[in-house]
Amino acid sequence: MNARRILLVDDEPHVLRVLRLALEREGYSVATASDGHAALACMAEQLPNVLISDIQMDGMDGRTLCPLARSTYPDHPFLILVMTSMTALDERAWARALSNTEFLEKPLSPRQLVARLARHFAALPSSPDHLSEPPHAA
Amino acid sequence: MKLNRIGITLIACALAAIMLVVTLLVLRQQDSQTAQIRIKGVAMVKSLSSVPVPLLRDGGNGGVLGALLAYHDNSDFAYATIGDASGRILSEVAGRGSITPVVALPVSAANGFGERDLAASGGAPALREFYGPLADRSSGPLFVRVGFHQPRYAVLAQDVSFMALLALAMFLVVPVIYLVIKREMAPLAALSTQLRKLATPGKSDSADNGDVRELIGDMQDYLGQASARIAQLEQGALNTTADNRLLQYGSKKLNAALQSLPDGLLMLDPAGDVTFASGKIEPLLGIQMERILGRPVDEWCCDPALRSLIGRYSGNLRDSMRSHGAAPAVQFAPLNVDGRQLSASAQPLNGGHGTMSFGTLVVLRDITPEFLARQAGNDFVAHVSHELKSPLNVIGMYAEMLADSDDESLRVESLNVIQDELERMNALIGNLLNVSKLESGSLNPERNRVRLDDLLSDTYNGALSRAEGKGLRVLLDLPRELDAVAIDKDLLRIALNNLITNAIKYNRAGGSVTLAARNEDNEIVISVRDTGIGIAPADQGRIFDKFYRVSEGDAPAKRGGHGLGLYLAAQIIELHHGRMLVESEAGVGSTFSIHLKTVPAPAGAAVL
Repeated sequence: MNARRILLVDDEPHVLRVLRLALEREGYSVATASDGHAALACMAEQLPNVLISDIQMDGMDGRTLCPLARSTYPDHPFLILVMTSMTALDERAWARALSNTEFLEKPLSPRQLVARLARHFAALPSSPDHLSEPPHAA
Repeated sequence: MKLNRIGITLIACALAAIMLVVTLLVLRQQDSQTAQIRIKGVAMVKSLSSVPVPLLRDGGNGGVLGALLAYHDNSDFAYATIGDASGRILSEVAGRGSITPVVALPVSAANGFGERDLAASGGAPALREFYGPLADRSSGPLFVRVGFHQPRYAVLAQDVSFMALLALAMFLVVPVIYLVIKREMAPLAALSTQLRKLATPGKSDSADNGDVRELIGDMQDYLGQASARIAQLEQGALNTTADNRLLQYGSKKLNAALQSLPDGLLMLDPAGDVTFASGKIEPLLGIQMERILGRPVDEWCCDPALRSLIGRYSGNLRDSMRSHGAAPAVQFAPLNVDGRQLSASAQPLNGGHGTMSFGTLVVLRDITPEFLARQAGNDFVAHVSHELKSPLNVIGMYAEMLADSDDESLRVESLNVIQDELERMNALIGNLLNVSKLESGSLNPERNRVRLDDLLSDTYNGALSRAEGKGLRVLLDLPRELDAVAIDKDLLRIALNNLITNAIKYNRAGGSVTLAARNEDNEIVISVRDTGIGIAPADQGRIFDKFYRVSEGDAPAKRGGHGLGLYLAAQIIELHHGRMLVESEAGVGSTFSIHLKTVPAPAGAAVL
């Protein structure tokens, strides 16, 4: 089993498709969701190492999803990457309050994303296998 | 009081007059007595001096002296004596109770007749003595002396009744005079008192014994002054009334003008209390007028921004603020009214070229529409940026994939996606440009008589491919023949596409979009019906507003609308003198209908 799981959340199917292709080519296990509710459902099944989310989405948006995902699984310090085309300061303030959360500026380059993830996993101690266990909280 | 005093004074005067008269009478009487005594004495001495001595002192028979005594024995007569110069008495006769004092005669007695007063001594009363030498010098130089009692100051018994009658008569005059004075003067005195009180209030009315003439003089003076003053006051009152009416009229006019201003006005006195508040203040701030008027700002103002603005004008800061010139303004949302934005500006109210300060004028303006428009504009820019950036994002990603991938199917997919996204961007930019043209007035429809069948079919076909991805059905419902209308085909296409786009965007999976048209009286009605989320009645009046986006739940415009589609569509229909209507039920769906006037075919006109 591949331990490097990525959850992609975006309401734009094209974005999901391109990023999935790019990440799978690098050997990551990729799950996708089109909004926050679907993302939380995915996480209930299997927790990702990295959550990559858009902000503006139909249904539950990224602004709601990210804090909720963080507070639902306080023991699992997964990285959150927020994709945003908004550069306004108030769009960033809410995310600063979240630990282990960074921004990805749109337009997003798949190559840069791959590089960012590679850096992330290189910095982690190997074998984060305990994350593969089904989560005890939902 | 005054009359009583007059009476008392009159009585006192009468008594004094009586006393005076009595005294004068007594003195007169005494004088006449003295003169009488003198005549008697002188005559007696002169007649005795020529009588021979023996005749005089014929002791046994009394002689002449004895006869004299008998003749003169009354209360006046004291004595008649013959003696020498040393006072020795040779012969005498004396009245009852009298003795002849042994007193030496003065030296001058030898030369002729004389008289002298003898003071009272040793129980003997005061005497008046007349003396003279005897012509008969047979027995040496002898003298005759005749004494009389000095008249006493006393009312003689026979005069008492006369004096009493006189006094009574005089005394009876007093009440008569008193009554006359009382009758004649009482009203005048009362008037005088009143007038003096009126003329000089506070001044004590002493000296109230002024006579009638003085009183009348006073009164005339007073009446003259009073009438002049009354005339002056009346004139003044008339002027004041006229001025007051003018002022009132002016004040009412000014008040009406202030009340009818679209902005709310607050006037504060230099102490910071509200002296005027126009009626608009109440709805603007949501605070009742009674709580505002005459109260300091801190007491009723619950909006910190407004309070700090007004606070800058009170106290010592005022002077420093005045020098700054421009009136500062703040924008705030009043706490007591929901959804309002107000702008407040304050400026000092100065008169007399800045030397007088009437306080502060605060102008409150409802800037909610401007605020909402600005907010909508800001949101619009943000959303347009997002709408443009999203396709750019996708294009960028696919471009990278195109570069990195050797897979032929991926390359084809990438190119298709890039093409689609470019079209999406193009449509948005097209809408933006059209709105811009519409608003600048440079969008002039080229109206031609057309039948709508082809246009509707094209729109339907375009919608089919877009609806497919969303799992929606698209239906077309056209009659066999549609009347011709005069329209700009390209503009109407934009309007229809925007309606279809909304119908797809706000629909739900498994729903449908129906494009229909029908002939009505002189009208073609094109309708776009969806089975989407519907529009709440509160929003239906505003959906054709520029930038207006219906909020869905907690987050507005999650469907990425930019608030231009319906606005543009409605504007285009208006350019065609048509009507755009909406019927909608929340949760069931919406129907937008376009009503266009049909044009009867002119002879020879071509229908495109």
